[in-house]
Amino acid sequence: MTFRSTGIALIATSLFVAACSSSDSDTSEKREVEAPASAVDAAEKAAAEAADGKQLGGKVTMLGVLGGAELDAFESVVEPFEKATGVEVQYEGTRDFAAVLQTRVDGGNPPDVVATPAIGEMAGFAEQGKLVNLRDVVGDDVLDANFSKSLLETGSLDDEVFGIFNSVNLGGLIWYNPQVYDGPTDPQSWDELQEWARGKAGSDIAPWCVGLESGAASGWPAADFIDEILLRQAGPEFHQRWREGEEPWTSPEVKQAFETYGGMVEDDMVYGGTTTVLSTNFAKAANPMFTESPACYLHEQATFMGGIITDSFPNLKPGEDLDFFPAPDFNPEFPGVRSISGEIVGMINETPQSTALVKYLATREAGVLIASTGRWLSPNKNVDPSIYRDAFLKKASEVLADSEGTYSLGNALMPQTEVDAFWKAGLDYTKDPEDLDSILETIQQAR
Amino acid sequence: MIADRISLVVIAVVVTLVVAFGYLRLGDRALALLPLAWNRRLLPWLFVAPAAAMLGLTLVFPAILTVVFSFFDAEGSAFVGFANYSETLSDSVTQIALRNTVMWVLLLPALAVLVGLTIAVLAERVAYGGLVKAALFLPIAISAVAAGVIWTFMYDYQPPIAEQTGTVNALITLIPGTDPVAWIINEATNNYALIAATLWTQAGFAMVIFAAALRSIPEELHEAARLDGASEWKLFRHVTFPALVPTVVVVATTMTVIALKAFDIVYVMTNGSYGTDVLSTVMYRELFTAKDNGVAGAVATILMVAVIPIMIFNVRQFRRGKES
Repeated sequence: MTFRSTGIALIATSLFVAACSSSDSDTSEKREVEAPASAVDAAEKAAAEAADGKQLGGKVTMLGVLGGAELDAFESVVEPFEKATGVEVQYEGTRDFAAVLQTRVDGGNPPDVVATPAIGEMAGFAEQGKLVNLRDVVGDDVLDANFSKSLLETGSLDDEVFGIFNSVNLGGLIWYNPQVYDGPTDPQSWDELQEWARGKAGSDIAPWCVGLESGAASGWPAADFIDEILLRQAGPEFHQRWREGEEPWTSPEVKQAFETYGGMVEDDMVYGGTTTVLSTNFAKAANPMFTESPACYLHEQATFMGGIITDSFPNLKPGEDLDFFPAPDFNPEFPGVRSISGEIVGMINETPQSTALVKYLATREAGVLIASTGRWLSPNKNVDPSIYRDAFLKKASEVLADSEGTYSLGNALMPQTEVDAFWKAGLDYTKDPEDLDSILETIQQAR
Repeated sequence: MIADRISLVVIAVVVTLVVAFGYLRLGDRALALLPLAWNRRLLPWLFVAPAAAMLGLTLVFPAILTVVFSFFDAEGSAFVGFANYSETLSDSVTQIALRNTVMWVLLLPALAVLVGLTIAVLAERVAYGGLVKAALFLPIAISAVAAGVIWTFMYDYQPPIAEQTGTVNALITLIPGTDPVAWIINEATNNYALIAATLWTQAGFAMVIFAAALRSIPEELHEAARLDGASEWKLFRHVTFPALVPTVVVVATTMTVIALKAFDIVYVMTNGSYGTDVLSTVMYRELFTAKDNGVAGAVATILMVAVIPIMIFNVRQFRRGKES
């Protein structure tokens, strides 16, 4: 290679890098995340109290899974804390949370605070004795006053609380475009909805839009919905025995849940067929619903999908162009059961700064800010549902309030090996539904 | 904060230099006190010792530890003999990974040599050769993860009814009656698609090495052959290529090692789904997801053992090259 061509290579590389960075700044237009000034003031006061009124200074390192607009939203929650205490919160977001955390713990350089939806993974660290008991940090009275018993139990090992919920998503919502969708918006059963959908199968507008691609975590949207179906079809008690390992993956109930899901992703029931389902990123899955000539009617995903869709289509008016109804009952024996997932916060290094941060996040005031981001529901039971200004969150909080029982998804609580196998099974089953028995056998072995 | 770190770096550099200088100077003085024969014998060791210690600490010691781990259970507390090896080798996932790794090892070096050599030889003969070489060389500057993301876009699949957003599918659907292909999901194409993406990042390296080797062939040889009436193909076949054989060996062994180490592109593009696992993705999953040091160590040892013959071959070629 001559000197001149090296020069060309360098110039071209820098042009490429420049092009990347400029397109980056174009798309990172921030979604307005505004909380009422009074709520921010109250949060600053609560943060000062969490730090015992001291200007602590210093920093807290935090490892989590958020990025992009979601991280901006979370940072708006932490900002009043930073202002009131002088503590800098250094958030590191990674999609490869488990591996990064394990490496840093083994290397003797763990983050002070962690936040993750993988509660089972956190339970593993709690078992190793790596996590601080938050009952001692935050105090029994505050925890019991702010969080429901079931949420606390989800983040507990024996009597110790290793994680408290920071944000909550309501799962199993059926998103639709009211301009196009003419099916039932209050179906009495899943079968009723699927009967309508089957009538549309093979037409120009497919009944469902589904997308399972998500990098190294591909398949999770399938696993989440199968998980939810199992919870509401076989009942919460079976669901708990299953996730705790007492019921095998090969049991008929699990098989039925997979098959119920399979009815939704049959080749002629989904936009583009199953190949499109496998190759479409979950965040783009609902896009065909809002193009000039919509190509599907329905999309199943948790509450956060509202934010993702309106990020891509900022002109959509909630309620007019985009709306949802909760997935109807899968079994009349278990009516009104709902599933939730969410991020829990745990503490590895107990420092004055990390203690203050966790205490602050557990306050009602911080919960109000979480709710005002318009992205998540607050797990804090003292947060008044009337503060949700986002139409979807308001509706979701009403659905939660009306539910007969709320349970965590099983795959958030399992060990990561089993979760990985479950995600992969979601892909494999969608691809080759006839292999169901051997697919279930494979997850059973991974357990 | 940043000032702290910069001063720390500066201090570290200064301290390292002073210590290194002091070690050599004082060691040299100390050895000078010895009789000449002893001095001659020990002096090389004085110079080699720091590098050897570094290598031992960062390479030999971890490698031995990995082999030791492979004979113990997940926590490293109980000796289990060859159980980890039999467990991983009897697992269908590892078998697929082994099959794929063999495929990588056969295809990547062959294609890299073919593409690198062809472009290097042809680019010599045209005026815009520099531009072609620059284009092929560019991807070297792109990290493997970024390359994986880029090729995920390139291979993007949309249903036949929609507009194709992936470059590859947009091109092939220009041919009437051709349907788009889900390159990284379809099991008939996905492994080749991943190898092609890796080739894109590595072919430039092969080409640069070949271009440099071509320069070192004396022009007189070519002129003499031309005067004798050799055609351009014969010239390449009997003059150029024989002179390039050692370079072909270097490029092929480098590419073989890269094929054995393949991880980033697979992890980013498929994470081993749809039968695309390679040994390193299996190792990663055993280590970080299953947290099983034993099985992960066994997979790492299998990889290490696979590399040894290639390294021996490479070192031999290197020595032979030096002798001639």
